[in-house]
Amino acid sequence: MLLRKIGALVSTNQRFIPLTATAVLAFAAYGAGAYFYSGMREPQVFFNLFRANHYLLISAIGMTFVILTGGIDLSVAGVVALTTVASAALLRGGWSPWAVMLLMLAMGTALGAIMGSFITYLKVQPFIATLAGLWFARGMCFFISDDAIAIDNRIYRILGQTKLLIPGLSNPVTKEGGFISILAVVAFFVLIVAIYIAHYTRFGRTVYAIGGNEGRNEQSARLMGLPANRTKMLVYTLNGFCSALAGITLSIYVSSGHGLYAQTFELDVIASVVMGGTMLTGGSGYVFGTLFGVLIYGVTQTLIQFNGQLSSWWTRIVIGALTLMFIGAQSLLAARKGGRQATKTGALASPATLRNRRVLLVGGGAIVVIVLGVLVSNATRNAAGGSSAETPTALTAACQFKPFRQDQAASLMAGGAIIAYERNGGPNCIDELYAVYPDGRIVGDDGTNRVEKQVTSTGVEKLLSDITEKGWFTDEMYDTWHTPCGQCYGYYLTVYYKGQEKTVKAVDGGTDAPADYWQVVSIINGVIPHFEPAP
Amino acid sequence: MTQFISSFTWKKVTENRLFFPLVALAFILLFDLIFEPGFFTITTREGNLHGSLVDILRNGSIVSLLAIGMTLVIATGGVDLSVGAVMAIAASVAALLMNPYVLAKELPPNLLQLINDPQFTYQPLWVVIPVTLIVAAVCGLWNGLLVAYGRIQPMVATLILMIAGRGIAQLITNGVRIQIFYEPYAYIGQGWIVLPFSLYIVAFVFVIAWMVTRRTAIGLFIESVGINFRSSFFSGINEKRIRLLAYTFCGLCAGIAGLVASSDIKTSDASNIGLTLELDAILAVVIGGTLMAGGRFSLLASIVGAIIIQATTTSMYAFGVPAFALQAIKAVVVILVILLYSEQVRGFVRKIAG
Amino acid sequence: MKGISKAFPGVQALENVDFELKTGEIHALIGENGAGKSTLIKVLTGVERPDAGTITLEAKEIQVKSPQHAQRLGISTVYQEINLCPNLTVAENILIGRQPFRFGSIDWKKLNTQAAQFLQRLGINIDVTQTLGSYSVAIQQMVAIARALEIASAKVLILDEPTSSLDTHETEQLFQVMRQLKHEGVGIIFITHFIAQVYEVADRITVLRNGKLVGTYDTAAVPRLELIAKMIGRNLAELDDMVKIKLEGSKHIKGDALLQAKALGLTGAIEPFDLELHAGEVVGLAGLLGSGRTEMAGLLFGIDKPDSGSVTVNGKPVKRYSPLGSIARGVALCPEDRKAEGIVDDLTVRENIVLAMQASRGWLKYLSMQQQYEIADRYIELLKIATPSPDQPVKNLSGGNQQKVILARWLATNPQVLILDEPTRGIDVGAKAEIQKLVLSLAEEGKACVFISSELEEVLRTSHRIVVLRDREKVNEFTGEVDEHTLMQAMAGSES
Repeated sequence: MLLRKIGALVSTNQRFIPLTATAVLAFAAYGAGAYFYSGMREPQVFFNLFRANHYLLISAIGMTFVILTGGIDLSVAGVVALTTVASAALLRGGWSPWAVMLLMLAMGTALGAIMGSFITYLKVQPFIATLAGLWFARGMCFFISDDAIAIDNRIYRILGQTKLLIPGLSNPVTKEGGFISILAVVAFFVLIVAIYIAHYTRFGRTVYAIGGNEGRNEQSARLMGLPANRTKMLVYTLNGFCSALAGITLSIYVSSGHGLYAQTFELDVIASVVMGGTMLTGGSGYVFGTLFGVLIYGVTQTLIQFNGQLSSWWTRIVIGALTLMFIGAQSLLAARKGGRQATKTGALASPATLRNRRVLLVGGGAIVVIVLGVLVSNATRNAAGGSSAETPTALTAACQFKPFRQDQAASLMAGGAIIAYERNGGPNCIDELYAVYPDGRIVGDDGTNRVEKQVTSTGVEKLLSDITEKGWFTDEMYDTWHTPCGQCYGYYLTVYYKGQEKTVKAVDGGTDAPADYWQVVSIINGVIPHFEPAP
Repeated sequence: MTQFISSFTWKKVTENRLFFPLVALAFILLFDLIFEPGFFTITTREGNLHGSLVDILRNGSIVSLLAIGMTLVIATGGVDLSVGAVMAIAASVAALLMNPYVLAKELPPNLLQLINDPQFTYQPLWVVIPVTLIVAAVCGLWNGLLVAYGRIQPMVATLILMIAGRGIAQLITNGVRIQIFYEPYAYIGQGWIVLPFSLYIVAFVFVIAWMVTRRTAIGLFIESVGINFRSSFFSGINEKRIRLLAYTFCGLCAGIAGLVASSDIKTSDASNIGLTLELDAILAVVIGGTLMAGGRFSLLASIVGAIIIQATTTSMYAFGVPAFALQAIKAVVVILVILLYSEQVRGFVRKIAG
Repeated sequence: MKGISKAFPGVQALENVDFELKTGEIHALIGENGAGKSTLIKVLTGVERPDAGTITLEAKEIQVKSPQHAQRLGISTVYQEINLCPNLTVAENILIGRQPFRFGSIDWKKLNTQAAQFLQRLGINIDVTQTLGSYSVAIQQMVAIARALEIASAKVLILDEPTSSLDTHETEQLFQVMRQLKHEGVGIIFITHFIAQVYEVADRITVLRNGKLVGTYDTAAVPRLELIAKMIGRNLAELDDMVKIKLEGSKHIKGDALLQAKALGLTGAIEPFDLELHAGEVVGLAGLLGSGRTEMAGLLFGIDKPDSGSVTVNGKPVKRYSPLGSIARGVALCPEDRKAEGIVDDLTVRENIVLAMQASRGWLKYLSMQQQYEIADRYIELLKIATPSPDQPVKNLSGGNQQKVILARWLATNPQVLILDEPTRGIDVGAKAEIQKLVLSLAEEGKACVFISSELEEVLRTSHRIVVLRDREKVNEFTGEVDEHTLMQAMAGSES
């Protein structure tokens, strides 16, 4: 009896199934994490999810509207990056922060409108038009500046760093406890406004009407007298606005702007929207679901960070697998519904197709299960090894770029070291500085710990000659630098040999660095002692 | 016996698919010639040709390879966004096969020497290359299965591998950027026999592709499926298998491109190899005149399209345009090309002309 | 509407057609394919502008500029393909674009109540908060009607083939609604090809043929047979005088059964039927539009998989139903819709001709260019295809020549069984005769042909045996002497 009631309840609310699935998945993942890692049980971890992903949420909200119409917008990453660089440059030039923000929003909106008109009126495919927009925006970034520009503005700082204490979880007197940032609140505000637009305005309903049904809906909507063209234009314009807003919050968050930010961000955004239950073919999905999609993304990242053993690119794989599962499930649901319509000869939703899709769904699900299994097994192995209590130093932001300890390196060299090697950044946000001395002593210092190792002086001699043979002191070895990606290391290496001293710096992810530099680095990595994770 | 030897008319020339791309290329090169006279100089060093023109060909070889595979996919009416990621996967597989010690639990004592030895490779080249290509083809097969049998939209289906692929590539190498010191491998991307070796690879792949599509019925079927999939079905063409083939081949091409790219920088750089190249490949195919809706295609025109992109890039460099501003210019080029090929503009031009 | 004419490139779709709709009447508009029904409606609803003629609504002359304009004038259309959004709720579909507001945002409660009310007017009680797609096609159609009515407070409601996807019970529901609306004064234009339904519910009937008005009649005054005669273009009085055409049935040498279909059927498309095709004979399929002819052909060729029955070709049962399999077995189908299922328009004439033959040879055994040109030339000559060269893209050819190209394609596969679905549609008279002669000569060579056409005369002249379909069911088979009168009776149904 109860089962029947549940069944009836489920079927009347069928369309909420994808949304519920996402929500369940998000919370389940979070719960699993909390089970395995005691560190995750801190309520602050939950709030940090929003503190870190506010820009993803804002952008995903805008993207949801675009995808609901059956389109896509690849330019978001470019607009975000452009916004950060432009804001930073303008602030550096002395503009008022509020004027900057307004201008950025206007710029994003304008870009969105341009792309929207290409798509709607010139009938360019959304994929290509927004691709061009992406290239254009990124290109514009570098017209403004090649390097990162730091932001040093009082208002921005206040916006970025104010802790909004959560009542009930914090102590207002000592100003400690659970907190959330203004930026996250902004993101939530955008979410609420978006939900309102989607469900309580004619524009929102037209958005839903246009998408889906493999493009036939757009024709139907037009026949029904809906302003399809205008709505399509507006959707891309709106997304431009959201991208700019996301860029503003990002630039506040990392206090800088750079054209290289938000690489492949558009994929994260799309994945979040899809995981939130919105179909890429358009027409169905909830803005609220996108919130959960972003949550899943954040939880996945957090889980991997807490695990500590897996690099953050695992996030990519898990997100990819999850996206596959969602897309597969969506196609299956759609096919089943499609089969209900009167079959025309040669209809595509044949039983064979359903079978194939089911196979793919199962296959994709199997992959996800395997992947998660690996993760979990790693987790349990680590729990046994005792590093589950480790809280990575920066589980919030992408590792913030820290300048090299150049002075320290210089003084080490003055103090007799013949190699000073610094490596900072990376997934665990480290900063290690090593000094190698002619007597074979190697000392490493990461700011909190020290390690030491003794090798032979002949070994050191060999090391130096190897390095020299790689052309260290020639013109083929030169500095290359740009702001590192989230999991990339930056390197600062000084070598002294036979009267010559030379420093060369580089960063992971730069294919313009001399190839031999990496060989030198791996030689050195093979010799120096390593820091153990703190017990 | 009718019309076997076609008469040469001006109209025939202009309607040839290659005409427009070649004109565009000539235009760009002319532009270079006027403003940078040294552009066309070709020097010989040790019997090999060098010069800006040669550079264009060499640097454009990767996108050319991608474009060959992408042409077939687009001709069936689809698209493959994952080629960049497949390149990364291929590079990782190859690097791992040559230097698997990044994953090994026990390292041989002379590891440092081994790795740095230019003659050392864990697996010989005749194992590395086929295995890599097989892996790449499997990636393409995966895409093809999703599109042809799962009936998932191509953009959606290949998006998945695009997202997950780089992660998989890094999984293979455990996140390490593996250095490759093996000299013969480096030859792929850096060798020269009068002309850069990668050009020969492009030519080889092109010939294979041409033979497969034009000397068998496959080319005809691909075009037929792209133009009218239902009529093709009625005529007995197994469009599922055709699509599968197209995507698998595209994956294979991406694998070859990955080998060339990674041998060029002697590393397997999973985060960066092939980044945004899928978009260049699609653009090359579009410039070459193949419609994104599918249908008639020309491999040669797509290669010319790739060369055009590369020529634009190299010319910009020669003029001192900063590297990343190039992207903005590429964006403008894309829009121009799309518009030129779009029906609205063409109709408009026709109206003006006549 | 008076004197409406409309021409498209190459074809006069409507020529001086008059049409009148009274308030509170159900007026059926019928005619075979290409008669001009849909063009007339498009003119009325503003999708197309007439080249000549006037439209008056309630004694005022109007010019309908666009579909939205038509709606505003009170002319609402419900198309055969339900042009709604299945992903939205029923209530939304009815009221989208005109949702009620409260304090600046959409008032969902009011929306749902209003929608429910509108549906109740039609006698439908469903949960309007469910998505449209979760309901059957019949319900969806009702929703479309509800929207059409309410949007315009419509005076004129046009229903374009509303019953194609409905079963008997649902059709009855629809008719009830239509009658109710009639009582309320709405004028309904009912386009359909189901003659029985016309008699059930329409007050008056207008018949179109080849773009011209044949006549407008009171339903009670015209018997069914006469109506059909008018549709096909025959004078009833003439019919009785026509010489009975003898079928060659007994004369020709009937070969072995090449294809045998037993209880072959597909739910929703065609009832299970038996059919035998013998070498050396032409079987004609006669039936009105929608009687299931194309569906039968599709099953025989392998386009659709049947869900009952079996087919044997040359004694071997067919296991894998696919076009390729059929070609391999020597069965060919020249499809009805040459644009969507026949030509591949960007390919050249040569490529189109060799396409199916190449498909049967597989990927690797490519016909050499020389062979291809030989084949192409041969058929260009045989069928007198008018094209400057075999390398002309097929889309540049006229419709008739395109049809010949398709025919050539299937002839090139050298089939034993050749099914032709409307092969002479859109072809000039001279070419029609050629094709008929060709079909007969193919039979003489020992092939089995199936000849489907809506022109009875053609069918009679070309066939040795005629199979009659009606309402998706095979109802009769004729050999020996038969005339059009008998045929039409069979096609139309029991009443005469």
